[in-house]
Amino acid sequence: MSTLREDAAPVEVIKPPGVWTRTRRGRTAILYLLPSIILFGVFVFYPMFRTIYLSFFLTDQRGEAAVFVGLDNYRYLLESAAFLNSAKATILFVLYTVPAGVILALFLALIANEKLKGIGFFRTIYSSTMGVSVAAASVVWLFMFHPSIGMFNRFLALFDIGQIQWLLDPDWALFSVAISTIWMNTGFSFLILLGGLQNINEHLYESAKIDGAGYFYQLRRITLPMLSPTLFFIITISLINAFQSFGQIDILTKGGPAQSTNLIVYSIYREAFVNYQFGTASAQAVFLFLCILVVTILQFRFGERKVHYQ
Amino acid sequence: MMKKWRFGLLMVAAFVMLMLAGCTNSDPDAAPEADADTGTQEVGEQQEAAVNEEGKVEIEFWHAMSGGGQESLDAIAQGFNESQDKYVVNPEFQGTYEELLTKLRSIGGTKDAPALMQVFEIGTKYMIDSGYIEPVQKFIDEDSYDISQLEENILNYYMVDGELYSMPFNSSTPVLLYNKDAFREAGLDPEKAPETFADVIAASSKLKTDEMYGFSMLTYGWFFEELLATQGGLYVNEENGRAGNATEAVFNGPEGLNVFRFLDTMNKEGTFGNFGTNWDDIRAAFSSGKVAMYMDSSAGVANAIESSPFEVGAAYIPHADEVKRHGVIIGGASLWMSKGIADEEQQAAWEFMKYLTTPEVQAKWHLDTGYFAINPAAYEEDIVKEKWAEYPQFQVTVDQLQDTEPSVATQGALISVFPESRQQIVTALENLYQGADPQQVLDEAVEGTNRAIEIANQTSQ
Repeated sequence: MSTLREDAAPVEVIKPPGVWTRTRRGRTAILYLLPSIILFGVFVFYPMFRTIYLSFFLTDQRGEAAVFVGLDNYRYLLESAAFLNSAKATILFVLYTVPAGVILALFLALIANEKLKGIGFFRTIYSSTMGVSVAAASVVWLFMFHPSIGMFNRFLALFDIGQIQWLLDPDWALFSVAISTIWMNTGFSFLILLGGLQNINEHLYESAKIDGAGYFYQLRRITLPMLSPTLFFIITISLINAFQSFGQIDILTKGGPAQSTNLIVYSIYREAFVNYQFGTASAQAVFLFLCILVVTILQFRFGERKVHYQ
Repeated sequence: MMKKWRFGLLMVAAFVMLMLAGCTNSDPDAAPEADADTGTQEVGEQQEAAVNEEGKVEIEFWHAMSGGGQESLDAIAQGFNESQDKYVVNPEFQGTYEELLTKLRSIGGTKDAPALMQVFEIGTKYMIDSGYIEPVQKFIDEDSYDISQLEENILNYYMVDGELYSMPFNSSTPVLLYNKDAFREAGLDPEKAPETFADVIAASSKLKTDEMYGFSMLTYGWFFEELLATQGGLYVNEENGRAGNATEAVFNGPEGLNVFRFLDTMNKEGTFGNFGTNWDDIRAAFSSGKVAMYMDSSAGVANAIESSPFEVGAAYIPHADEVKRHGVIIGGASLWMSKGIADEEQQAAWEFMKYLTTPEVQAKWHLDTGYFAINPAAYEEDIVKEKWAEYPQFQVTVDQLQDTEPSVATQGALISVFPESRQQIVTALENLYQGADPQQVLDEAVEGTNRAIEIANQTSQ
């Protein structure tokens, strides 16, 4: 903004403009931004500040701030084994879902990018999970994981492999939820990555072919660098989504067994809407916000260097 | 890139400043509004009754009954609306008990609150303390309504300090359901269900096969409360919270430990099947022959019999060997009336409550859903007798309730933080099944519950 003003200044050298005139551009800008400022303000910033405010209080039965406790809610969280466990589960969940999900979607996008007859059918199938709501998908997975009538255990039984308590064994539950989450997110990532692939200029591949480059060489030197902005976007979004997973946890495990899938968002929900402790719930929310903020900043700082913008 | 960064930072800073300004402006405005709201409700200002075009008083009835329960309830409300010409009751499904309570918390005490609402039994203390409700005792006294016609053991739960705050409605108790065919195969007497913890443990090891576990229990706090109560154990101090505000949980005493050891023994022997926290899962496990005995709600008995391809037996829940059976606590929900609404609307709610407790309506309700009739006269109705002849298991559930000895243990605990405490029990059970020490997990659950009680007591002053 400052450069613009300097450009404009020499024209009216004779009379220094008043404050009103000088801020004209700024005011116009604000006017254009007003709709989004209002919307963000009401739906994002007000709730955010309210959350921070509540995190310093204990709330009463109606959810109103009742007793000011300063940083006690945060202190309690950091000492609470349950919360540390939630934090650990969340990090594990992110590690399970993000790399696997992105690689799977990338693989599907690469094979669906080939020009073959009937490829439209496969593209539709691969992106179809996007059209399934988290709740519906979770219910389907719930049946597949079912301990007595589930598909997976019947399948294992065919090969005489021992039964797995997919959602009831604390060692497996997080993994099971992660599998279903990867499946749910694949459609969206696939679609975005395919869009990215289709945007890559054909001439690049033609020139490479003339130079005698093989498929994998092209993949490494043309496709991935050209796709990097899209990949960066997908990784960021997947990461944030993984941190905020809720629906599948609520339906598949309700945070159990033995808290092994009690991710932070779920634990916030339970603290706020089952236990009505909006104070500690808000403190957890602030903590999660800070985590995502740090991760995203780190990603922009280090990840974006590898991104090639055209 | 640096430029982009700086621009972004500028924008963020601008937003933050704007929002801070916005907040400081809006907060003082918001506060008096809230005060005004609570003000009207405290005074109980006269409200206009909602009257429809036919001149009838119309009230909303929030409930949490889905499936068959919802159909039955809709039919009952329709029956009420047709039985008289002054009032109309509109039942509205609001999700699970927990979801209904969450919605109620946000509009309770305002004019948008429904005149009539169904709240689960463990919300009783919360509702009384909330100040949103009009005790039905007021109408019972004004109308000289005879509550002695209602089931004593159900009233016992809902009577607090000798007053009835809400009208009991759908009530259930736990029962032990077992697979009679599996009992025969294992050489056990199918007509004689195990009665004590030791009996259950012994039967489980006989019933255990490669395909089938002996015993299972839903990982749900309610069952623990019941197994505790049937030994006469208390959940919280101050006489289970009935003599005063409870300040401490006491369920980690010898009775609680009995329950956890009972489960731990079978779990270590490999005869206990863990089917998680979902009702449908454990029911599916039973009817598909993966477990031979489990505990269900009396409201689930009819369904278990119908969906199982074998003969199903029902029995009293087991108790520890060294104590006699005390009986069961009532579960389910009751109906509450809003305060601060028009007198006619309260009257409508009261008339509907009275209609609900008539033997005919209760007979229908009992048969449709498997919940108890709160009016035992319903059991004398012909349709009930016919059904009982067909399903003698129903009779067992009613006998178990009527055999219950009234005491503070079987009255059930009164605390406002029950949902949270149940969550603590679930975690304790799950840790137990992973091999943790029974006493240790119970102590942790008590600690968690105590913190919740302490916060609740601290913030309600």
